[in-house]
Amino acid sequence: MAALLVGLQLRQYGRTLTRSPWAIVTLVLAVLGALGALGLVATTMVLLRVTLPQTGPDAVVVLGSTLVVGWAIASVLISADDALAPERFAMLPVPARRLLPGVLLGGAIGVGGIGTLLALLLTLIGWSITWPALLAAALLLPLQLLTCLLAGRALAAALARQLAKRSGRDLIVVIGSVLGISAGIVVVVVAEGVRALGSTDSLLGAVAGTLAWTPIGAAWGVPRAVADGALLPAAAQLLVALATAALLWLVWAHDFRSRLTAPIVSGGGGRVRSGAWIDRLLPATPVGAIAARGLRYRLRDPRHLVNVIGVVLLPLLILGLNVVMGTTVEVELGEGVADLGAFGDVGPMLLPLLGAIVLMSVGQLDTAYDSSALAAHVLTGVSGTADRAGRALGMIVLFGPLLTVTAVVTTAISGRWELLPASLGATLGTAALVIGAGSAISPWMPGQTPAPEASPFGTGSSGGAQALLGALLMLLVILTAGAPAIGTALAAAWFPLLGWVSLAIGLGLGALAIWLGVRLGGRALDRRWPEVLAAVTREH
Amino acid sequence: MLPDATAPPILSLRELSKRFGQTLAVDRLSLDVPRGSLFGLLGPNGAGKTTTLSMATGLLRPDAGTAVVDGADVWADPPAAKARMGVLPDGVRLFDRLTGAELLRYHGLLRGMPEADVTARAGELLAALGLAEAASTLVIDYSAGMRKKIGLACALIHAPRLLLLDEPFEAVDPVSGETIREILRGFVASGGTVVLSSHVMELVESLCDRVAIVAQGRMLAAGTLDEVRQGQPLQRRFLELVGTQALDAESLSWLRSS
Ligand SMILES: Nc1ncnc2c1ncn2[C@@H]1O[C@H](COP(=O)(O)OP(=O)(O)OP(=O)(O)O)[C@@H](O)[C@H]1O
Ligand SMILES: [Mg+2]
Repeated sequence: MAALLVGLQLRQYGRTLTRSPWAIVTLVLAVLGALGALGLVATTMVLLRVTLPQTGPDAVVVLGSTLVVGWAIASVLISADDALAPERFAMLPVPARRLLPGVLLGGAIGVGGIGTLLALLLTLIGWSITWPALLAAALLLPLQLLTCLLAGRALAAALARQLAKRSGRDLIVVIGSVLGISAGIVVVVVAEGVRALGSTDSLLGAVAGTLAWTPIGAAWGVPRAVADGALLPAAAQLLVALATAALLWLVWAHDFRSRLTAPIVSGGGGRVRSGAWIDRLLPATPVGAIAARGLRYRLRDPRHLVNVIGVVLLPLLILGLNVVMGTTVEVELGEGVADLGAFGDVGPMLLPLLGAIVLMSVGQLDTAYDSSALAAHVLTGVSGTADRAGRALGMIVLFGPLLTVTAVVTTAISGRWELLPASLGATLGTAALVIGAGSAISPWMPGQTPAPEASPFGTGSSGGAQALLGALLMLLVILTAGAPAIGTALAAAWFPLLGWVSLAIGLGLGALAIWLGVRLGGRALDRRWPEVLAAVTREH
Repeated sequence: MLPDATAPPILSLRELSKRFGQTLAVDRLSLDVPRGSLFGLLGPNGAGKTTTLSMATGLLRPDAGTAVVDGADVWADPPAAKARMGVLPDGVRLFDRLTGAELLRYHGLLRGMPEADVTARAGELLAALGLAEAASTLVIDYSAGMRKKIGLACALIHAPRLLLLDEPFEAVDPVSGETIREILRGFVASGGTVVLSSHVMELVESLCDRVAIVAQGRMLAAGTLDEVRQGQPLQRRFLELVGTQALDAESLSWLRSS
């Protein structure tokens, strides 16, 4: 049975790969990302082994705990896409007991599972400080992998009933996107905190010491205790680790069994607020209708909501980071060249630009998010220009005010109000440029998105290789056509009046870019409707 | 009103072909649908009905052949052809994060209708199809039958002269089915034309005045109901043309309970 399920999973991968060359490219990118992470682990392990051999075990305990938490979070985020969900076996007369091992193994077949296994193997370098530790670690490796896999399954199982309701799913999406966007920043803040608290390795030791006794770190605590020759703690931690795995298994198996006989049916959200103001705001024409539909989707569809949150959150998070770290930066700058002080003010002013850059994928992938529903536009004979213009208008109406507010907030915090026009010029100009470029590119490269109702973090969330190529093209556009507005905005730090020039250039060039993008994209769309429809309908 | 045999057909397909990899989904298919007829398109699963209708409505570019709607070539002059058609496609999503009422309004406005007409007609359509209760529920939360009905409403809102409906009765309850039949009969009585695909012979027999039978992408028979039936029940004639898969005595023998 296990072999059958693993085979099923492999065949599903194979099918996806043979159906679309882009899927192969996406897989290659995922593998490259995983290889990069593994390279980092390998380097850290070797460096620690050579320079600070005693710190290796502490680092591994922290890494292991992170892996467990990572698996748990990731499984919840992508649980909507689970190809091996119990409901899929509900019709088969097979007892849960025979399905469970295969489902667990099947879930491990993938970039994540194989990457985790390799990372665990690499940690053996860190354990090689004593023979008993190495032996213990090698013996515990299956348990460590099992803990990761089970943590994912058990948490997703425990939350399954909440995730089945639309409100629950949407909430998960919002939390997940906030977590995802802020992940890097959290690391920096924690690192800063650690630095403030004192020397890094003593703290690492303390953290590892604590984690080693918790369910998430116990499986790695055992070899650490063995390395220290503390056999009694090692035995106790082994008990914790085994109990954890057993408990996770029970939670998951119980849920799996009950869902085989009582499948969870995804529920709806009932009535929604009509949002009649959207219809009053926009004209009752094809363009206005498409813009209004875009606005409603941005607020109702979690896949779009994630992007909206990203546009606002990214600049604000970096700003928050700047405030946290501000003191240290200023001290260093204070002793540097005086001119750099002015440059320090440019930072916050240009932050909203990050939000505009997030718009790159929003603009290009907008059509792909519609999936086969795009047929409505084809059947009603909407002109390509109206389609492009409506989408652009919908984005302007939402993201224009959002980016403006972001610019005002960042300027307020930096305190240099005379730079507001510059900030607005660079931000709005770039946003408009990106929307225009996206309109023109997407009939040729619509890109991939997660399917409607699938998790925004599942298959296709990276936009695929077409989106990567599109992003490169748009970066080129920003660096060339965007240079005047951004350049004058930068110069405004010294000559504030240039800010108004930046605003004028940004709005002027931006309007031109949108007009051109709508024209070019519209004309391409009129010629390529069926091809675009086929491209966005295809399952990835 | 009887279809006028001398008037030019409202829908005319000529030598349409489409190949998907190895499968020839539609093979030089030609078809004329006279004005004012209620036309049934029949065929086994995978016969090419959906593919044909997709090529006739602008969703799928044919490898060869033409489709002309009321004098407008679907692939040479898409806006003119599309304005004359109302389409219920099969296997295509709706913009389902809109409510039923919002979706209808969306289709009406996309068709370029004035807002007042859209609002009035949307209300009438929702009431007629029994969707008034669900007007402010997201379409994503509709049942399969409700989705068919809202899709049909979207196809009707601009009062087209030609309706192309891919399996409009699938998953629809008997009460709504009767409503839809009445709507279609009234539509045809007032000079409209309907082409629908279906698998239910009794329904086609009682509703349509013309039928065509396709299998493996080819047209096997087309004409008035009586011409195609040749005095037999439609079901029998269909099986005769398409060919039954005769089960020999051995196959599936394990299924017969001992
Ligand atoms: N996008 C596609 N890619 C590949 N093959 C396709 C595609 N669409 C249809 N086909 C193939 O074309 C043939 C005709 O399919 P089509 O959907 O037109 O049949 P149908 O008559 O509508 O069947 P049904 O009664 O089941 O709806 C089938 O063999 C099908 O497998
Ligand atoms: Mg079909």
